[in-house]
Amino acid sequence: MKDDWKTIDTDLLIIGGGVAGCMAAIPALEAGLDVVICEKGKVLDHCGSVGCGVDQYLTVMDSGPEWDTPEFLLKYVPELTDGIVDMAVTSKLIHQMPRIFRKIESFGVNFKDPRTDDYYRLRSFGLPGTYHVNFDGTDFKKLIGQQVRRAKGAVLMRTMGVQILTEDNRVYGGIAFNFRTGEWYAIRAKAVMLATGDVNRISKNASGVAFDSWHCPYNTGDAQAMGYRAGATLANMESVETTLTPKGFSSQGLNALVSLGAHFLNKDGERFMFKYTEKGENARRAVIADAVINEYLLGNGPIYVDCSVMPKAELDFLEETLQVDRYTMPAFYQQKKHDIRTQPIEVSVSELSIRRSGVYFRGSGLAVDTNGETSIEGLFSAGDCATVSGGVAGAAVLGHMAGEGAVQRIQRTSDKRPEIDSRMAEDIRAGAMAHIGRQEGDSWQQFEEKTRQTVTDYVGFRRTDKGLKMALETLKSLAKKEPELKADDLHGLMRVHESQNIRLNAEIMAQASLSRKETRTGASHWRLDYPDTDNENWQKFILVDRGKNGPELRTLDCSRPLSDGFSRTKSKGAAA
Amino acid sequence: MSDSKQKVHNPIQINTETCIRCDFCDWICPGDLIYHEDGNKEHLPVVAYPDECWFCGLCQKICPVDAITIIFPEQMINNKTDVTTLLGKVVE
Repeated sequence: MKDDWKTIDTDLLIIGGGVAGCMAAIPALEAGLDVVICEKGKVLDHCGSVGCGVDQYLTVMDSGPEWDTPEFLLKYVPELTDGIVDMAVTSKLIHQMPRIFRKIESFGVNFKDPRTDDYYRLRSFGLPGTYHVNFDGTDFKKLIGQQVRRAKGAVLMRTMGVQILTEDNRVYGGIAFNFRTGEWYAIRAKAVMLATGDVNRISKNASGVAFDSWHCPYNTGDAQAMGYRAGATLANMESVETTLTPKGFSSQGLNALVSLGAHFLNKDGERFMFKYTEKGENARRAVIADAVINEYLLGNGPIYVDCSVMPKAELDFLEETLQVDRYTMPAFYQQKKHDIRTQPIEVSVSELSIRRSGVYFRGSGLAVDTNGETSIEGLFSAGDCATVSGGVAGAAVLGHMAGEGAVQRIQRTSDKRPEIDSRMAEDIRAGAMAHIGRQEGDSWQQFEEKTRQTVTDYVGFRRTDKGLKMALETLKSLAKKEPELKADDLHGLMRVHESQNIRLNAEIMAQASLSRKETRTGASHWRLDYPDTDNENWQKFILVDRGKNGPELRTLDCSRPLSDGFSRTKSKGAAA
Repeated sequence: MSDSKQKVHNPIQINTETCIRCDFCDWICPGDLIYHEDGNKEHLPVVAYPDECWFCGLCQKICPVDAITIIFPEQMINNKTDVTTLLGKVVE
């Protein structure tokens, strides 16, 4: 390698320092391994989706009652996910929940309500028990980040992973660059973990401000894109997720309002949710979003959330905790001159994310086995970029499982890894750096806006064969313009990479949506030309691999784990 | 305005009188928007990419002297978008 490269040799390279990445680092560090984390943020304590705080954590505690056992929750998983779920991975994840919950408590996270010194557990989103712990998680990520730093995990901040390195379906490292200093890293590793979260900035929202998004707008499907390009299998990419937000500000927070007892009303003041589900406001996120979308399409908008029906004590609690999930939420209502205690809040449908289609345990992204390992040997994934996802708790538990899986993989593997080919590394760097200072071509902002408009119009809600084909044509032609994208500086180069990753995820989503000829989980995959759920033919996962001419699809029956679709596990079986 | 390109709204308002030119806002911004040279007490932090703000408020929260205020743009505070335009075009 030339002198201007930073070369690192490590045991476990983790791309993405959010909850999943940090929780994976912890067991590896406990096992005495070297860990390097690449993270686009600048401080581990506050990066990732919950870097600003979190107000709820889904867990089974095994506290005594039957509903609080893994077995009880597991029984409901097929119903919760409409049957599209990897039960092998989900079962292990749910069984590990109590252990990981206690482990996070040991880091100093206080999940208890200071008023009662007990857990304040709520029932949310159609789950069959009060599994959501409502708590002040302002310092949640800070305490997890501290744990990694204390154990001497090495962290490369403001650093973006651009490519993972594989040979013969085995990972051996990655290439990354620091977008503040311009340093390029060639990192050789025995295992690699991709944990960069979900895909955002992929469709339009009410405000039209691209980075005003419910989920972290700096999560741009980097893991899914890097994994796919290297040959890892993706699944469930046809499903999208949306939520309901205060109109104008795509933010979290309505979940808290609804679980505390607020009502949805349409323009006529009708509490309509019971028309759609007997669970009313207590239904799954996907069902709630669906009902609101339908009311808007029926011409019953604007839709409102009314908190005035809540008891005073709940309203007080709500106001006290409004800033926990999003610190600026009180400022938003203040600047709007809006009193949520007395005035109904106008609601919008948010932009889309590719994450977990509004249901727990059915993630969209890199297919993983029960060790969090993808179809590429030594490549792991967890969090919102993996196929079993469940909010912050899902990221924590699967992250930890993947960390333990990586430890096992590293201990079983001999050290015969390829050296990083300097010419290949140079080509990657030269290709990237050519974007900086270009005179001709689109800016990443213009490019991304075209992706967003295409997805909003034809790949989001109300999908049809014709619309999806039109979208694919546009998205594929956009791909040809990628080498010409302009970046003003290193920061812009990071955004250019993000924009390309967003476009690739959009293309994969459109391709997978085209092939699923049914509607499932309401708005998460709504085909106008196939409006019914077809359990006879479509209790199947759609798996996506990189083919010669773009995404190649295959299906796998949902009674089987996704890892049955991995060639590495098949060949192992044959060898045994 | 003759220029069709609108001026970018800067949501991260830094009070130049009270800012003590520490590095915290640069340090904490998850989007790499705020730039301040480490330890430089002469220069104010610069919001280099205001249109990439998530409105998370971490910079405001961490500021030791409360010199930062997040100001939402008009299209967020007083939003007029027809929500049905976000629900796709029907092509059959």
